[in-house]
Amino acid sequence: MSDNKHRVSRRQFLNYTLTGVGGFMAAGMLMPMVRFALDPVLKGEAGGEMVAVAQVKDITTEPKRFDFKVKVKDAWYESEEPRSAWVYKDDKGEIVALSPVCKHLGCTVNWNGDKEHPNQFFCPCHYGRYEKDGTNVPGTPPIHPLDRYELKVKDGTLYLGKAKPRGEA
Amino acid sequence: MKWTVKDVEVYLQEKEYVDTAVIPLIPLTLEKNVKSIVSMGEFVQIIVNELERQFKGRVFLFPPFTYFTSENMEEKTKRIADWTDELIANGMKHIFYVTSDTEWKAGEANLPGTLLWLPSIPLEHMDEKYKQQIVTDQTSQLMNLLIAKWS
Ligand code: FES
Repeated sequence: MSDNKHRVSRRQFLNYTLTGVGGFMAAGMLMPMVRFALDPVLKGEAGGEMVAVAQVKDITTEPKRFDFKVKVKDAWYESEEPRSAWVYKDDKGEIVALSPVCKHLGCTVNWNGDKEHPNQFFCPCHYGRYEKDGTNVPGTPPIHPLDRYELKVKDGTLYLGKAKPRGEA
Repeated sequence: MKWTVKDVEVYLQEKEYVDTAVIPLIPLTLEKNVKSIVSMGEFVQIIVNELERQFKGRVFLFPPFTYFTSENMEEKTKRIADWTDELIANGMKHIFYVTSDTEWKAGEANLPGTLLWLPSIPLEHMDEKYKQQIVTDQTSQLMNLLIAKWS
């Protein structure tokens, strides 16, 4: 008797499982819709404004490191993340802002970090090197030049945007 | 690298370049000194995150090793030694523990990896610029210690 009570009949079983599957399907259908609805908003935000990083008068022909923060939106979580840039004026007097993120595996590179190779950027992780203009030195681990930040100058202040692979910036 | 799928994908492909594990040692309590204990942990987390940013391609930052302040030293040491063995068995060559908890300093000699102890600086009431300066300074000291071990 009591055995019977607890037994799930075939019909009940099918009912349970089908509701389950149906539930899943509904969720599956809902998710993409939600994503579509949110997408344009996210894109608008991620477009990213430029951030004030330095005063132009502080920029010399010697690369200097400037630290700043950017707002990062990662799905549901918004945070401020630190960034750095190596900034200098090139021979033509134009400002160059390089991303310090090594193109090998992402360590932070330093200007003049290796005494044996002066006037280069040096990556302490696996000894990657780059020329002053960001070109990777062949024979060291990185195989691409350092990214360059999009930049603009307004009222004596340098603003940086996204770091982009060279050729795109 | 961090303990995220995105970073682990890189790790799986480039294992031979990632030979250093950093483990923050974070004490827990709910007793009356809870605030200073939390502040300690927060400080260490900020520093190791910055360290990870600087050395992303070679350092694997692990989720913290946590313990109640009441746990005795022997047990903690045993547990962290197990973590260390596991990491070394999986190819890590340098293991660093980062903490502000003075207890570890006393037991440093029994640790299989390298202890990096930092004085805890409460950052919560500091202005942004000063804070950034402190984090940069503390991190660069740790960086030098790592570089020294690497070479
Ligand atoms: S991360 Fe820079 S050389 Fe490997």
